[in-house]
Amino acid sequence: MHEVAVMTEVFEIINENIKIYNLKKIDQILLKIGEFTCVEEHALRFSFEVISKGTICENAKLIIQKVKASAYCDNCGETFYICYTNKLCPKCNQFSSNIITGYELLLEKIEGE
Amino acid sequence: MKQILIEKNILQNNDDIASKNRQILKDKGVFTINLLGAPGGGKTSVLEQIIKNIKHNVDVTVIEGDLYTTKDAQRIEKHHVDVIQVNTGGACHLDASMIDQAFEHIDINNLDFLVIENVGNLVCPASYDLSEDMKITVMSVTEGNDKPLKYPAMFQRSNALILNKIDLIDSTDFDIEEFYKDVYSLNENIKIFKVSCREERGIDELCKYLESQINDKRRNKEFQ
Ligand SMILES: Nc1nc2c(ncn2[C@@H]2O[C@H](COP(=O)(O)OP(=O)(O)OP(=O)(O)O)[C@@H](O)[C@H]2O)c(=O)[nH]1
Ligand SMILES: [Mg+2]
Ligand SMILES: [Zn+2]
Repeated sequence: MHEVAVMTEVFEIINENIKIYNLKKIDQILLKIGEFTCVEEHALRFSFEVISKGTICENAKLIIQKVKASAYCDNCGETFYICYTNKLCPKCNQFSSNIITGYELLLEKIEGE
Repeated sequence: MKQILIEKNILQNNDDIASKNRQILKDKGVFTINLLGAPGGGKTSVLEQIIKNIKHNVDVTVIEGDLYTTKDAQRIEKHHVDVIQVNTGGACHLDASMIDQAFEHIDINNLDFLVIENVGNLVCPASYDLSEDMKITVMSVTEGNDKPLKYPAMFQRSNALILNKIDLIDSTDFDIEEFYKDVYSLNENIKIFKVSCREERGIDELCKYLESQINDKRRNKEFQ
């Protein structure tokens, strides 16, 4: 639902970089998206198609790398993978709300010439 | 061919505006909440109850997010507090730039408590930082006790959850034990308040909680 808004921001950043590096064509765009962000891949790809039409990004390959969610246990120092319904430390069984990955929404890299 | 490492947060623009305003709210000691929840859960009703209960002790301003209408803002105005309407023009969430514009109409020097009612939606709004101190989700028993697991992101990120329309619980199959278990599995630290706006139940406890947060924030300002 807010994928269009997210993709619009991505293009703002890409366009800044197109100017800075004087790019004529974008070949690849790499995004990193955490699994807790509620950004849906299909909707994001669809937004990309719509927004890139007629721009120098039109034929770029959009790569979406998912980032697994993990937490840090403040009690024992363990870092571990979590899901929505299980955030218990596997070592000491404490609940952790110290989420360290999973909320990423990153434009990591672009390739072009 | 050039490879350009960008490594930038896609919502950086939003987050920059939000941090700028968070600092202002901190300096002025204004406790701020982002009120979230599905359409019709009772966000505006809860807010009306809160205002009635605390407006004698606390200066409240409300930012009303809505797709197109001013209906909720009109309801709030009747309680004689300042309200600023923000129409998203169809977008499913408020973002920090909309709050930034609303700020121009707020008398921040005479304010203790800022409430932002977000657009009714259980999915996206939680992703956008609006400079709030707390996200509070309003959910009603008529929505069904399966909602926390079906829309976990909102519940995971909320500091408090208001379970509204408790007066209707007997005419639903809402399983409150399961509800508590599910919510705590997502977020062990969340505060849950059971309320009925219809019967004005549970409002006192909710308001006591909010007032203590409001006072803490005000006190921190005085210590600066
Ligand atoms: N029975 C009962 N009805 C309630 C209660 N609280 C709210 N309602 C009703 O629920 C409906 C929706 O309430 P609102 O306060 O408009 O809900 P909202 O979440 O602000 O809705 P949107 O802003 O449109 O997303 C209204 O008809 C209210 O009268 C309650 O505690 N019990
Ligand atoms: Mg409302
Ligand atoms: Zn541990």
